[in-house]
Amino acid sequence: MMNLILIPIVLPLASALILLTLPERTKYIRELLTAGVTAVCLMAGASTLMSALFGQPLTLNMPWAGAGFNFTLRADQLSSFVLISISLFSFLISVYSFSFEQKGGSKWFFFNLLMTQAFAAGAVLSENLLALLFFWEGLLVFLYTFIALSQKTDAAKNTAKKSFLINAVTDLCLLVGVTIVACISGSMNMSVIAGAKLTMNGWAGLAYVLMMIGAVSKAGAFPFHTWIPDAASDSSAPFMAYVPAAVDKLLGIYFLARISVYLFALNGTMQLVLMTLGAVTILVAVMMAFVQSDYKRLLSYHAVSQAGYMILGIGTLNPIGIAGALFHMLNNAVYKSCLFMTAGAVEKRTGTNDLSKLGGLFKAMPITGLCFIIAAAAISGIAPLNGFFSKEMIYKGSLSTGYTVFFLAAELGSFLTLASFLKLGHSVFFGKRPDDLKEVREAPFSNLLPMAILAAICIAFGFGAELPANWLLAPSLHALNLEVPVLAGFHPDKLYWLSIIVILAAVINHAAGYALSGGRAFKASDHIHNAPLLKETYALAEKRFFDPYEVIMRSVPFAAAALYKIDRFFDYLTDALPSRLGGAFSQASGRFHNGSYPLYMTLTIAGAIAYIFITANYGGIR
Amino acid sequence: MERGLLAYILIPLLSAIVIPFAARNKPRIADIIANVTLLAGLANMAYLLLNPSNIAESFSNIPGDGFSLLMVFTIYLVALCVVFFSAFFAGPMANRQAYFCLMLISVAAMCGVVTTSDFFTLYIYIEVLAVTSFALITTDDTSAGLEGAIKYFLLTFPASVSIIVGLSLLLLSVGGFSFENVKMFMSAGSPDGAALFGIGLILLGFLIKAGVAPFHAWVPDAYQGSFAPVSTHLAGIVTKISGIYAIIRISMLMRFSEGEAQALAGTLMFLGMLSIAVGAIAALRQKDLKRMLAFSSISQLGYIVLAAGLGTPLALIAAIFHLFNHATFKTVLFLNSASLEKAAGTTDMDKMGGLEHAMPWTSWTSVIALLSTAGIPPLSGFWSKLLIIVALWAGGAKVYALLALLFSIVTLAYFMVMQKKIFFGKKSAAAGISEVSAPMLAPVVLMSAVIVAVGLLFPYFYAYLVETIAKRMIL
Repeated sequence: MMNLILIPIVLPLASALILLTLPERTKYIRELLTAGVTAVCLMAGASTLMSALFGQPLTLNMPWAGAGFNFTLRADQLSSFVLISISLFSFLISVYSFSFEQKGGSKWFFFNLLMTQAFAAGAVLSENLLALLFFWEGLLVFLYTFIALSQKTDAAKNTAKKSFLINAVTDLCLLVGVTIVACISGSMNMSVIAGAKLTMNGWAGLAYVLMMIGAVSKAGAFPFHTWIPDAASDSSAPFMAYVPAAVDKLLGIYFLARISVYLFALNGTMQLVLMTLGAVTILVAVMMAFVQSDYKRLLSYHAVSQAGYMILGIGTLNPIGIAGALFHMLNNAVYKSCLFMTAGAVEKRTGTNDLSKLGGLFKAMPITGLCFIIAAAAISGIAPLNGFFSKEMIYKGSLSTGYTVFFLAAELGSFLTLASFLKLGHSVFFGKRPDDLKEVREAPFSNLLPMAILAAICIAFGFGAELPANWLLAPSLHALNLEVPVLAGFHPDKLYWLSIIVILAAVINHAAGYALSGGRAFKASDHIHNAPLLKETYALAEKRFFDPYEVIMRSVPFAAAALYKIDRFFDYLTDALPSRLGGAFSQASGRFHNGSYPLYMTLTIAGAIAYIFITANYGGIR
Repeated sequence: MERGLLAYILIPLLSAIVIPFAARNKPRIADIIANVTLLAGLANMAYLLLNPSNIAESFSNIPGDGFSLLMVFTIYLVALCVVFFSAFFAGPMANRQAYFCLMLISVAAMCGVVTTSDFFTLYIYIEVLAVTSFALITTDDTSAGLEGAIKYFLLTFPASVSIIVGLSLLLLSVGGFSFENVKMFMSAGSPDGAALFGIGLILLGFLIKAGVAPFHAWVPDAYQGSFAPVSTHLAGIVTKISGIYAIIRISMLMRFSEGEAQALAGTLMFLGMLSIAVGAIAALRQKDLKRMLAFSSISQLGYIVLAAGLGTPLALIAAIFHLFNHATFKTVLFLNSASLEKAAGTTDMDKMGGLEHAMPWTSWTSVIALLSTAGIPPLSGFWSKLLIIVALWAGGAKVYALLALLFSIVTLAYFMVMQKKIFFGKKSAAAGISEVSAPMLAPVVLMSAVIVAVGLLFPYFYAYLVETIAKRMIL
C-alpha cells in the first residue's frame, strides 16, 4: 500500500540516491530532476493539507524494531501546514539554484537539498517521538555536509564543524528529553502524551527544558545561533535561504509549539523563561545585525532575531500569541528566503557582499531591488504586508500576558530592524554606483521567478491576511487543542499608531546616521556602533567573546594540554617510574652479584646468623 | 621409608654400576642404558598414578604418600628429558660414561630424599646428591664450570653445618629423627624451645640449599657456569629436591597454620616474599639468558616457600603443585637455553635477535613455558599461582597475596623482554642459525605438552592433590 504521506519522505530520499549515480558530465538533468521531485512533493503536500482540512488526517502506522515501538506518521493540520511550507521552499530553492554557480558542486548541493527535505518532512510528520528523533538527527548529518561541501575553503569546513558541534550538543539534549518523557509517560506517541499533559515538576520539567533547548537551537535562538552568521560568510546564498532561513525555523518553531502547548502544560516560570529567551534573542541579534557591513551576514543576524519573535509569541501561551508565532514562522521564512535570494543575485552579478563596495544597483537590477524592498518592508513590519500582521499578533499576545517589558523589547527590535534595512537597502540599491559596477545586469529568470513569487506571497498574505488565518492558522490552533480567537482584520488601534511612530523614528535615525557619516550609507549605523559602552561591547562581540562555542573552543588547547599532562603523569606512574625503579634495583643487584666469593660467603653467614638469632629469640632458647 | 618405592632408588643405582663395564668400549651404550632405565621408571610410575581405575576413583586407592609419589614421578620426568637431551646435545665427550653414571646416581639420591621418613637419612641422601652435583657441574671442564662447582660446594657448606647442629639438637630434645617423632612432639602441644630451634636450624640448611634469598648468591653462578644440560638438571629438579622438598615436608610436620611455631612460619614467609622480589627485580636487567633464568628460579621458589610458610592445607597443595609446574616449565626454558647456546653459540641475549623464524619450535615452546610461569590461563602455572594467592588471601596474609600478584606481573615483564630480545625483533648479524635437531626438541615438546595438559586437565590434578595429600597427610 502506497500511502500519500510517504511521498514527501521517500521520493526525495530515493531521488537523492539516484542523483549520486548520475554521470558527472550530464547538464541540467540534476536540476530538472530536483525541480520535478520538489514540485511533486509540493503537490503531495497540498493534497495532504486538503485531507487534513476537509477530511481525516493521513496517518501511517507500522511496527518498528520488533515489538514495542511503532513508526507512526500523522499529518494533522499543523503538520501539513509546516509540510507544505517546507515543500514550497524546496521547490523555490531548486528553481533558484538552477543556474546559480556559487552553490558549490551541483551533485552534492541537490543531494543535500533533497535529503534535507526528506528528513525535514519526516520530522514534521512524525507522530512518534522516536521517529521524530531519527529524522531530526538525520538532519544534523546533512547540515554538516551541506555547509562543508558548499565551498572548497577550510573556513567552510570549520563552520560546518561548528554548526555540527553546536547542534549535536543540543540534539543530545533533545534525545535525553525524549527519553525522560518516554519513561514518565510510558509512551512515545504524541497524541497519547497530549491526552494527559505533563506538568512542570521534577523530571518532566527537566525534560521540557532539554527538549526546548533542542527546539530553539534548531530555530537558531540565542545562544545557539553563532554558527548562522559564520555560515552566511562561508557558505552559499541558496543554502542560507533554504536551511537557516526556512527549514530550520519551520522545524524548530513547529516543535517548540508542539511541546510547549501540546505535550506539556507550562507554568508561569517557564513562560517567563521562554519570553525572556525570545526578547534577548531579538535584541542581541538585531543589535549585531545593525552594525554588519556584509549583505548575507547582516541578513543572517536578522534570521536569528526573527526567531526571537516567534519564541516570544509561543512564550505568551495565549492563542493569539501562538497564532502570531506560527504566522510569523511562515512569514519570516518567506521574506527571509526572498532576502537571501536577492543577496545571492547581487553576489552573482557583482561578485561581492561587502556593503562598502555596492551601491545604486536599483537601476541595473530593478526586479531584484523591488523584491528586496517588498521583503524588507515586510520584515520591518510595515503595514499592510504580512510581517505587520504577524508582529501585531505577537504584540497583542505579549501585552495580554501583562508583561509590558517584552512588548517594549519587541518594539525596540522592530525599530532596529527597520533601521538596519534602511541602511542595507540604501547602501546596496540606492546612492552612487561604484565605477566597477557599471556593467552589472539583472539576475537571470531562474533567480527572479522564486524571488517574485515570495514577494508576491508577502503582499498576498498582507492584503489577504484572512486567507492564511482561516486556512492555516485556525486549523493549526485547533490541532494544538487551543480555542481560536479572532485572527484576521485590520485594526487602526493604538498599536497601529505605535508602529507608525516606530517607523518614523527609524527613518529619522537613518537620516541622522547618514548625515553624521558624511553621506556614506553603509556607515549609517556608526553613531550607534561607536556610542560609549556599546563600542566596547561590539568590540568584544567581534572578537567572539560572547560566542559560547568559541569560548569553549578557545579553552580546548588548554584543556587538551592539561589532560596531556595528566596522562603523562599517569603514564609516568604506571610505566616510566616502575621501569626506572626496577632498572635501578636491577642494576644495583647486578653490581652486587659480581661473582665475588668472599662477598657471597659474608652474605650467607650474615643471613644465617640473623636467622639463628631470630628463631632463637622468638621460637626457641631464651 | 616407603618400601614400595625402593626399586626407584635401587634400579638407577644398579644401572649406574653397570654402565662403566658395559660401555667401556662403546660410550654410546651409556646413553642407551641411562635412557632406558629412566624411561622404564617413568612408565612404571605413570601407570601407577594414571591408570584408568585410579582416575575413575579419583585417586583414592593410591597407596601411601602422594607427595612422594608425585615427586618421584617429577624426578623421573625431568631426568629423562635431561638425559635424552644430553645424549644428542653433547658431541664427543671425554667422560661420557661418568656423566650418565652420575646422572643416574643423582636420580637415585633424589628418590631417596623424597621417599625417606626420617631427617637423618634425608640428610645423607642430600649430601650424596650434593656430591654428584659438584661432579656434574664440572662436566665440561672449563674454568667457569670449576668456579661454579667450587662456589656451590663452599656456599652450601654452611647448610650442612646448620643441618648437623639442628639434627643433634633434635636428637637431644626429642629423642629421634623420624618424621613421626616430630609429628608427635608437635601434637603434644607447647613444643620445647630447643627442639624448635633445632628444627629452625635444619630449615635454615634447606633454605640455603634451595637458594632462597638472602642465601641465593651461589645459584646464578652455578647455573651459568655449568654444562648446559646440567644446569637444566640443577634448576629443574635438584635444587627443588635438595631444598624445597624438605621445607614443604617440615611445614607439613610442624603444622605452621596452627600457630605453634609462629616465628618460624613468619620468617619463612618473609624470606619467601624476599626471594620473589629479589629474584624478579634482578631478573629484569640480566643480559645472560641462563643468569636471568636462574634469578627467575629464585623468584618462583619464593612463591613455594611463601605458601609453605603459610601452611594451610590449600597453601601446601598449592606449593606442591607449583613445585611440579616449576619443574616442568623451568626444564623447558633451560633446555631451550641449551639449544640456543648450541645453535647461536652464546647465551648473551643482546647478541641474539629475530630467531623466531630460524627456530620456531624453540621459540613457541618458550612462549608456552613463559606464559605458564607468568600465570596466564589456561596453562598450568596459572592454576598453581592462583591457588597460592587464594590460599594467602584466605589465610589472612593479604599484603603478601597482593605483592605476589604484583610480582607475577613483573615475571611476565622480564620474560617478555627475554622473548623479544631473543626470538622477536630485529634479526641479529649472526646468520645461518637453524633449528636444533628433532631429538633435541622432543623433550621440550613433551614438557610443553605436559604444561598445557596439566592446565587443561586441572580438575584431575586438583583431585589427586586433595585426595592423596591434603586429606591423608595434612588434615
